[in-house]
Amino acid sequence: MNKCAEKEVAFFGKITAGITHEINNVLAIIKESSGLLEDILAITEEDAFPHKDRFKKILNRISGQIQRGNDITTNLNRFAHSPDYSPASVDLNEVAEQMVLLASRFARLKNVILKAGHHDESVIIKTHPVALQMALFESIEIILDLITSRGKIILFPRKTDNQYVVGVHFEDTTPDDIVIMQSISSCDRWESLEKTMVYLGGTAETDDSALEILLYLPNSIDK
Amino acid sequence: MKEMKLLLVDDEEEFVKTLSERLEMRHIQSDVALSGKEALKTMDEDIPDVMVLDLKMPVMDGMEVLRLTKKAYPGVQIIMLTGHGSEKDEEEARRLGVFEYLHKPVEIENLMQIVTKAYKNKF
Repeated sequence: MNKCAEKEVAFFGKITAGITHEINNVLAIIKESSGLLEDILAITEEDAFPHKDRFKKILNRISGQIQRGNDITTNLNRFAHSPDYSPASVDLNEVAEQMVLLASRFARLKNVILKAGHHDESVIIKTHPVALQMALFESIEIILDLITSRGKIILFPRKTDNQYVVGVHFEDTTPDDIVIMQSISSCDRWESLEKTMVYLGGTAETDDSALEILLYLPNSIDK
Repeated sequence: MKEMKLLLVDDEEEFVKTLSERLEMRHIQSDVALSGKEALKTMDEDIPDVMVLDLKMPVMDGMEVLRLTKKAYPGVQIIMLTGHGSEKDEEEARRLGVFEYLHKPVEIENLMQIVTKAYKNKF
């Protein structure tokens, strides 16, 4: 990434992080206000307020949505802080889980389940966090573009024989898994993914038998 | 044990006043300050036992209030309550002697427990 692009990404991240903070403040006010309503309801006699149960149900719904909103802003905030330090040490398990949360909406639109398979131990590498997330997202998008209606995509970070890799596996897809596999490396986005991986000092490959896009990463990148 | 003096510091007026009201319903009285400066002024008049402090505030942020308070009144137990503070913020707050570092939103019962623990820690 050139200096100007780095500045742009940092700017975007800073503004987004600031806005998530503002949204979180709004959610905190709604949470405390609905909490106060719950408190008042709790000390109100049943006879004095015939709609007590209906109010309770609605307050529960509000509470659930506040939690949902907070999860979304937390993920967005983490994502916005990704460019703060680059290169930086990251745990591939955490990056995979984070990517699942960020990209799940895109998967849902194609009726696809997106999951992260957790490696038993931490898989820590020094890399460019934004570019790594881009590579994961590009891999997911490549598969999603080829899927017409359903399937499962699972991100598998792992370390084998001193190699750090994230496998982007798919299964139960429509059209058939083999058809998707054969189309991956010839699709338009593949070249872009390869370029991102070169920037990360790694490579993108496919494994036909395992139905995976494999992102090979070095354990450390200096610049 | 004497009654606890609790100070809530946050520039989000509706948040902090509602929080104060909810604590009052649970028999915990609190004062409210809407800025870092107001918090320091309040402390000069009446030193609290425990302070619940927002991190991101205009003009004087929570970290500065924490630093100044720990210097002038080291006995005050401070709980940082932040929207989205970074790990670096948390490290710095702990280095400066914060009692607990919490993320918004926090459940009222959980906050009450930590506030009570902080108060007991003072003695």
